[in-house]
Amino acid sequence: MDLREKSGLLIDDIPEMRSTIRIQLADAGLEKCDVARNIKEAIDKLAARRYDLILCDYNLGQGTDGQQFLELVRRKKLLPLTTAFLMITGESSYEQVSTAAEYAPDDYLLKPFTSETLRTRMGRILDKKEALKPLYRHLSQPGGRHQALAACDDLLAARTRYSLDILRIKGELLMAMKRTDEALALYEGVLELRATPWAEVGKARALAADGDDEAARHHLERALEAYPNYLAAYDSLAQLLEKTDRPAAQQVVERALKVAPSTQRQRHIGGLAFDNKDFGRAEEAFRRTVEKDRSGFFKEHGDYAGLAKSYAEQGKTREALAAVKNMSSHFQHTPELAARQAAVESQVHAKAGNAEAARIAMDKALAVMKEVELDPATSLEIAQACFVGGRSEAATDIIRGVAEDHHEDDSVFARAQAIFAEAGLNDEGSALLDETRRRLIKLNNDAVSLAKAGALDQAIVMLREAADRLRHNAQIAINAALALLMHIQENGMDVAKLALARHYLRQAEEADPNHAKLDEVEAFYRRLASPDSQ
Amino acid sequence: MDSLVAVAIHDAKNALNALNVWLAEARRDCQAPALERAQEVAGNVSAQLVQLLTLYRAGEGSLRLAVEDRQLDDFLADVMAELAPPPTAIAIATDFAAAADIGVWAFDAYQVKFVLLDALRNALRHASSRVHFTLAAESGGGIRFSVADDGPGFPDTVLGGDTSAMAKTSSGLGLTFARLIAAHHATPSGRHGRIELANDGGARFALILP
Repeated sequence: MDLREKSGLLIDDIPEMRSTIRIQLADAGLEKCDVARNIKEAIDKLAARRYDLILCDYNLGQGTDGQQFLELVRRKKLLPLTTAFLMITGESSYEQVSTAAEYAPDDYLLKPFTSETLRTRMGRILDKKEALKPLYRHLSQPGGRHQALAACDDLLAARTRYSLDILRIKGELLMAMKRTDEALALYEGVLELRATPWAEVGKARALAADGDDEAARHHLERALEAYPNYLAAYDSLAQLLEKTDRPAAQQVVERALKVAPSTQRQRHIGGLAFDNKDFGRAEEAFRRTVEKDRSGFFKEHGDYAGLAKSYAEQGKTREALAAVKNMSSHFQHTPELAARQAAVESQVHAKAGNAEAARIAMDKALAVMKEVELDPATSLEIAQACFVGGRSEAATDIIRGVAEDHHEDDSVFARAQAIFAEAGLNDEGSALLDETRRRLIKLNNDAVSLAKAGALDQAIVMLREAADRLRHNAQIAINAALALLMHIQENGMDVAKLALARHYLRQAEEADPNHAKLDEVEAFYRRLASPDSQ
Repeated sequence: MDSLVAVAIHDAKNALNALNVWLAEARRDCQAPALERAQEVAGNVSAQLVQLLTLYRAGEGSLRLAVEDRQLDDFLADVMAELAPPPTAIAIATDFAAAADIGVWAFDAYQVKFVLLDALRNALRHASSRVHFTLAAESGGGIRFSVADDGPGFPDTVLGGDTSAMAKTSSGLGLTFARLIAAHHATPSGRHGRIELANDGGARFALILP
């Protein structure tokens, strides 16, 4: 691998380390290398250009680390899949890097290292990136899953040294496409030849997706005995337990936190402990979440909301209000922030018995909601404030609206259910949420039946009405696009309908770019829209 | 969270790393054999500290391995690179043909590398003319790393598994460490790693990973 033509970005907060590593990089042949001193600079550089390789030190100062940075840029899609990521760690933090669950670096390098080691490692990961390039290209393309799957099979047939990496990606693709039986067979096939943690966890996820929660749970517990450091196993187990046994889920996340402290897991503990009415633990977890990160890149509104509510539940009104106020100095001043602050403030006042102050704050939150469309977390916060303030009807309406708009999102439903439970309306809430989900599924099914029976115009009217109203519901938007495309297929090209289909596909992509059905309908659209089809 | 003992070991190891960097720089300026020896000693002490930390954590019940997929040929190349230049004139004959066939295996590369380096350094110390280092697929599942020399072999007490006898030998810490790392490698189906010691025209050390 000739490194002279490659471009690199080195991220390290210590000037001496930056210059030492730059010299080593030049020795190793990588001369074109930008440097960033902190997360902000690194993000700016990544947004401005594409690099072949990122070298990032684990400790980045300001209470932040390279693992958080990697998760952030992967989630925000600032780091192309073709860019290699090499984490530099000390012996004391290598465990945290090597056990990273979902967003693992391509490789990690323990300090101290020689230029020769650096060159070898860079060469290896760049070779791999090069070999898997055809696959990455499809993976980063909206609607590219089917082609990515085909690329996996082509690469597997070529019997490269990366077969296991490709199988791993293929398993994830199959799971995302909800082809769980095939995913299960893939994982079992891998495990027949060798024991490896990712395939164990993959198998458990496939079992859970098939509805066999019990087998999945058993499998994950066994996997954790063999691989007590494998964070993905804790995360999957906690996710399973959350549905039925939240105190047990909290314990699992506590165990994971002992393996590798992370903001994400502190936040998770905070939420679980709060729901389990373990308010002291919730306060501690949320406080750590907001205090550790002094860069501000990894905090969320919900962290402060959780902290304020944990204080309020323990009668610490002054601290709770301070936490609400604190949000203003840590986040951009958006309508979402104003609404969230007002909704939390209202709950704090209500808990402290200040009904008038609670009402004023709630009205403020509701006023923002009337003006702008809010994200589900903020809307649900306002619903919770309404319950606490005695306005149950308004609360129920808000939750119904959010549930309709996100009827496939389990985490939104779990949050909504928790809010009902806290308001003492567990059964009523559960009935409302079930009914909403059933209604939405029926609407989709009815429309699809109509379309299949040839009543395409009627199906289109029905789905468009729903899609225009529920703009965050990917499933409905996808079906609206599908009905329009079927109409074109049956009756010939209609430019207006094609444009509408495109509009709904965009809407679906915005709502849920990973929706299992999106790829198929995008591919259908491309077939009809291509000049050859006319 | 690590205790003070672990933190102290970390600090000592970091100091040794710094010392190593200075020694490397000194060696660039002046090719004295004494500096070469000094760097070797610093490297050995550093490796022993890693073993010590691992043994300490095992005693505390907080030793958790970081098991993940590794390309075996890359891993073996790393081991050989770290060993070079060999501390003695004895040649190491390798047979890694199985690495390409097996491809990838899941294990804690960081710890296993220390086990193998220790075994190799021991073999080089005791060998009269040659050391063999091989990898093979283990029948019934697993992989087997073997290190063999043509020296006097292990003392009988060590072969008998007498841990107190092992602790008194120079390779005692290394073998205890190797046994520990092997045993901590496990699969969900209940298979565990192990080491095998034998004398057959010299000492034979094997690390079998499940």
